[in-house]
Amino acid sequence: MHRITLSGTESVLTCAEEDVILRAGLRAGMGFSYECNVGACGMCKFELLDGEVEVLRHDTPGLSERDRKKGRMLACQCRPKTDCTIKIRQEAQCVPKSLPSRQVARLLETVDITHDIREFRFQAERPAAFRAGQYAMLTVPGLGQERAYSLSNLPNDDGLWCFQIRRVPGGAGTSVLFDQLKQGDAVMLDGAYGLAHLREETERDVVCIAGGSGLAPMLSIARGWSAAPKSPSRRLDFFYGGREPRDICGESLLRTLPEFGDRLQFHAAVSAPGATQTKQWTGHVGYVHEVMSAVLGEALREREFYLAGPPPMVQSTLDMLQTQYGVPPERIHFDRFF
Amino acid sequence: MSTVMQVKPEAALAGGSCAGVRVCLAAQVPDGGSHRVELPGRPALAVFNLDGQIHVTDDRCTHGDASLCDGEIEDGVVECPYHQGAFDIATGKPVAAPCSIPLRVYRSRVDAEGVVYIQLEQ
Repeated sequence: MHRITLSGTESVLTCAEEDVILRAGLRAGMGFSYECNVGACGMCKFELLDGEVEVLRHDTPGLSERDRKKGRMLACQCRPKTDCTIKIRQEAQCVPKSLPSRQVARLLETVDITHDIREFRFQAERPAAFRAGQYAMLTVPGLGQERAYSLSNLPNDDGLWCFQIRRVPGGAGTSVLFDQLKQGDAVMLDGAYGLAHLREETERDVVCIAGGSGLAPMLSIARGWSAAPKSPSRRLDFFYGGREPRDICGESLLRTLPEFGDRLQFHAAVSAPGATQTKQWTGHVGYVHEVMSAVLGEALREREFYLAGPPPMVQSTLDMLQTQYGVPPERIHFDRFF
Repeated sequence: MSTVMQVKPEAALAGGSCAGVRVCLAAQVPDGGSHRVELPGRPALAVFNLDGQIHVTDDRCTHGDASLCDGEIEDGVVECPYHQGAFDIATGKPVAAPCSIPLRVYRSRVDAEGVVYIQLEQ
């Protein structure tokens, strides 16, 4: 255990030997700025004023040359080696609603969603405390590196954590999950994390935009939206983008929600309808953000947005919403894993 | 480093292709610093002075609700005081995470009297 003193405050927290500064802070209920937990978003920059840390990853995209020159580090990538004094930003929105913690979870069952996306259901001892749209870090035996996966279900007292994971061709991580992990096998689950969770309090109509395994958190958002008390006129439009028709998913899962077909609409878009299939595609063709723009147009200006998917999809959507439709960033929720 | 002032919009002053909206006086922007200007009905502007060269951008960071006029300026880059994301002032290009959306940069000119104008295309 090492003591971390937060400069400019009265706070001192303890950080377990194997833990990183960011998570130690969140586990203690502090609102350290963050999004991704994996060194990409650049939100958890801090300055080390005293003490020594071990840096886990040096080539993180979250730090610019300029940040490095100024001696900034990422709290998600630093393990204290001694007691430390740090200067770090805290924000009310980053204070976790339930404190993230590590626990063992066992694979209960799997369900194939598409040709390359599979749902993995894990059973843990303690209640599954998270917010719709959040993610957890999984350490899988034989895989070494811990990875962030989004939850697709809703928080529950049964300890059920469901992830929908896309098989990455040639990817070591997903190969272990898809080909080796068996029912009853144990993984280490650490969570929950993430700021792209459902804002139950907002009175706006919602748009969810997903691609690839971004299905999971958007499904969780839609399920949470459906379950939350809200004005009976509220709408949710769910857009899912894929390359080919066989990539499209989510509709059958959303269909079970009472608002489906009425105030909850599903829109699928494929960018390359004839790539490897001859099957006729009669739906939208194009990138999902373009289809969203064509379907909703000016109504986009007043909506609340949740995004998850491949980086180019998220970036193009973000660019369009902010630049073309003038949507302020506070109304666009996503965790930047790139 | 920055001050706030209210300016009346004066569109189409010089006529022809030189038409523009009056923003402020170049002399109000300290060298190597910035000056925040609020024009009615528009998002606030940030006017920067980089070695005597005036640049005008949106004042609000594209990542969050922070004023770039409160940011540190160094080597032609302004750093947002919120999460230390940064932009190249002349081009608006994001150069440090978490910023990823370019900052809007306005075409600007300074006339013989030292008045800064920007072009507001539709």
